[in-house]
Parts: sequence; C-alpha cells; structure tokens
Amino acid sequence: MSSWLELLTDNFGALASGFWVTLRLVGGSFAVAVVVGTLVAALRIAPSKWLQRLGGVYVETFRNIPLLVLLFIAYFGLRRAGLPINTWTAGIASLGLYTAAYVAEVLRSGVFAVSRGQIDAALSLGFDQRDTLRRIVLPQAFRTVISPLGSITIAMIKNSVIVGGAVAINDLLKEARIIASRTFETEAAFFWAAVGYLLVTVAATVAIRRLEQRYAIRR
Amino acid sequence: MGYLFDPNNWEWLVTSNNFEFLFEGFLVNLQIALIALIFSLIGGLALALGRLSRNKLLAFVAGLWVDVWRNLPVLLVILYVYLAMPASWREAYEDAAPAFLPDVLQTGRVFAALLALVLYNSAVLAEIMRAGIQSLDRGQSEAAVALGLSYWQRMRIVILPQGLRRMLPATVSQLITLNKDTTLVYIIAIEEVARRGRILTGFNFFGGVQAPLLQVFIVIGLMFIVTNLGLSRLSRRLEIREQQRTGTTVEPVSGLEDQVATVQAR
Repeated sequence: MSSWLELLTDNFGALASGFWVTLRLVGGSFAVAVVVGTLVAALRIAPSKWLQRLGGVYVETFRNIPLLVLLFIAYFGLRRAGLPINTWTAGIASLGLYTAAYVAEVLRSGVFAVSRGQIDAALSLGFDQRDTLRRIVLPQAFRTVISPLGSITIAMIKNSVIVGGAVAINDLLKEARIIASRTFETEAAFFWAAVGYLLVTVAATVAIRRLEQRYAIRR
Repeated sequence: MGYLFDPNNWEWLVTSNNFEFLFEGFLVNLQIALIALIFSLIGGLALALGRLSRNKLLAFVAGLWVDVWRNLPVLLVILYVYLAMPASWREAYEDAAPAFLPDVLQTGRVFAALLALVLYNSAVLAEIMRAGIQSLDRGQSEAAVALGLSYWQRMRIVILPQGLRRMLPATVSQLITLNKDTTLVYIIAIEEVARRGRILTGFNFFGGVQAPLLQVFIVIGLMFIVTNLGLSRLSRRLEIREQQRTGTTVEPVSGLEDQVATVQAR
C-alpha cells in the first residue's frame, strides 16, 4: 500500500492534469449536450410532422451508434476527408452530440409528463401558447427530469474515457496508462484513476440528490 | 459533401470481400455481447439476491461491489482486467474454450474482454433486477410466507418470475448499451469490427489511393444502428405489453442512461 501512495505522490502532477482534462472534456460536452438536446427536443414536440421525424432520426442515430465509431468518423474520418478538425473539437462534439440524443429523449418525456389539465387551465386563464409553454409547462417539465438528466450526466462522465481512448487527448485514464507502462505498476496506476473517476461520479450523484430534494416532483 | 457521396469512395464496399470482412467482424461483436450478457445475467441475479439478503454483511458487500463496478468507466475496466490478468488465466481460457467458437473468440485476450464486460454489466443488471424485485407488492412475499413456503421456494415460485418479467424491457435496453460497448475491446487488439475497420483503412488497398475511412466507419455505424433499432423496438414492445398486462409505469434506475428503465408498481 505504501508503494501505491508513493506512486500517487510521484505522479501527482500527471494524474492531476489528466483529472483536469477529464473535467474540461465533461464540462464542454455537457454544454453541447444540453444545448443540442434542447433543440432536438423542441423539434420532437414541434407542430410539424416533418420536424418531429427529423428529431426522431437524430435521436435514433446518435443513440444507437457506438461512441467509439462516432469518434472515428468525427476525427479520423473528417481528417481524411480534408477537414482539419482538432482533437478537442472532435472529442467534445462527439461526446456532446451522442449525449444530446439522450437529453432530448428525457426532455421530451418531461414535457409529456405535464398533465393536459395544466395546459387547459392555463389556456382558459388567458395565457397564450408561448406563455403557457414558458410559465406552466417548462418549469414543471424541468423539475421532473432532474433525476434522469443526472443519470445521463453520470453516464457521460464514464463515456468521456472513450474519447481519450480514441483520439490524442490526455485524460485521466490516458495519464494512468502512461504511468502504468512506465513504472509497470498497473494495479496502482489504475487504482488511482478509478478513484479519480469515482470522485467525479460520486460528487455528481450527491449534487443531483441535493437538486432533487429541492426541486423534484415525484410522480 | 462531394467527398462523402463520391462513387469512387464507395467502390471499396463492392470490390473484393471488404464488406464481408467488416460484417464478420461485426458478428464477433454480437457474439461477445451475447456471451457477456448470459454470464452477466447469472452474476447479476446472484448480486441482486445478495444485496436483498437478510444477512447484513452479505447485503453490504454485494451492495458495495455493485456500486463500485457500475460507477467505473467500462473502458477502464477492460484495460485494467487485460493488463492485470495473469498469463496463466489466459492460457487456461485458451485450453478450455469450446472448439465451436470462432477462432477470434478462442484467443486469451477475449477472456479479459469478456470478464471485464461481465464485471460491469452484472453490476448494472443486478441493480435493474433489484429494482424489479423491490417493485413487487409486499403482499406477494407475505402471502408466500403465510403459505409456508421457504425462502428459496418463495423466490423461485413467487418473487423471481414476476420481478424478472418486469425487468425484461430494461434488460433489452442494457443489451443495446452492451452491444455498443463491445467496440471498446478494439483497444486490447481483438479483431472485431472497429479493429477491422482500421485494418481496412490502414493501408492503401486501392493502389495508392487513400482508404476512405469516413465511409468505412459510416458503414460500421449503420450496422450498429440497424441492429440496435431492432432491439429498441423489441424493448418498447415488451414495455407496452407489460404495462397493459399489469397496469404499471416505467421508472428509471439512477446511474444508468435513461434508456435503462425498470417497471415499478404504481
């Protein structure tokens, strides 16, 4: 165990930088996922059949393709096609767009979870369509989706590892692999990487639980 | 766009046996997913029963085990198991692997991949099963006790048949995730579809023309999309049937992607 601690103190700089890269990757992808996911959810509840179908195609495509294949397409594929995309853009775009499909599905189900009576009541009180959506439907929809959105965020943190596995981004796992191959202390290096990921996922779990206790509506 | 639809870049699909080469790789993915699923179901059931056990120590250990493994990234687990596994284990697998398996699946590194996928997925499935079992009305268990059934009889005759049926749609959803995760074993050099895609695009097989990596991986992506769409249709149908049969609603299991849902009693 003492040699394990030694490995941590000896390589703390590398592990910390990997940890920071993972956090930035997760943060950037989260922003993309929320923005694109909201747009796709809007498409899926749009009044036009064609827009709904477009949203459906997006969700089914990005939810059913392996993230690794998506990364190969977005990075190596586009580079071969002559588009000089850089690793961070490709990584954040892939992870973000992949997660956006899940976000869109959750947001859509959240909107549908608001009961029809709420909308009828708002309309009969003289709210117009836009105000009904903005003041009645969305605030309630948001509160029902906190918990599933949290699950998606945790899945995204775990999926961020795949980005480092496919393209040259030195995230926490990549740094751990470099340390493992240099020192031959595979167990220790992977143990500290696992601790790093568990720190992030547990912190996210606690934060989500707090949010839930404050805002969530149990249905 | 011109590059994407240029017929020259699609020629590889029909020349020689490139598509077959990829498709055979894809079948390896499906086989890995299927084998991992079978063992994960067995392991998951054991873990779920352990977690629900009245023995406090067993419940605690099973709970900790499940929470640790399902909160780790799969890729990390795959790499770790592969790097840390003693060579003797791999040799033992190579000796013991049944001969009817394709050659790729008989190599020792596949054992590492399978073990890692089972470690992760059995933890996830254990959580799904636990939710399915706990969603049953208390009365079911109480009635079974009142009828004088022993613990194992109660589980086998009353609880598991109902609880497991409720988790069927969630299990199919997890199979979709598992199916996607099988591409990750590419990192330990197992020749499945992603690795074969890299092989196909790794050298100039068109007499000096650069291999169309974009197109190759779009085709690979389509293989997964078609298969997984079929599976998610199946999952939705099972979900609807279950809802009609029992009048229950779908609730998500925390920590998983939203697709992974389990049925809970209203």
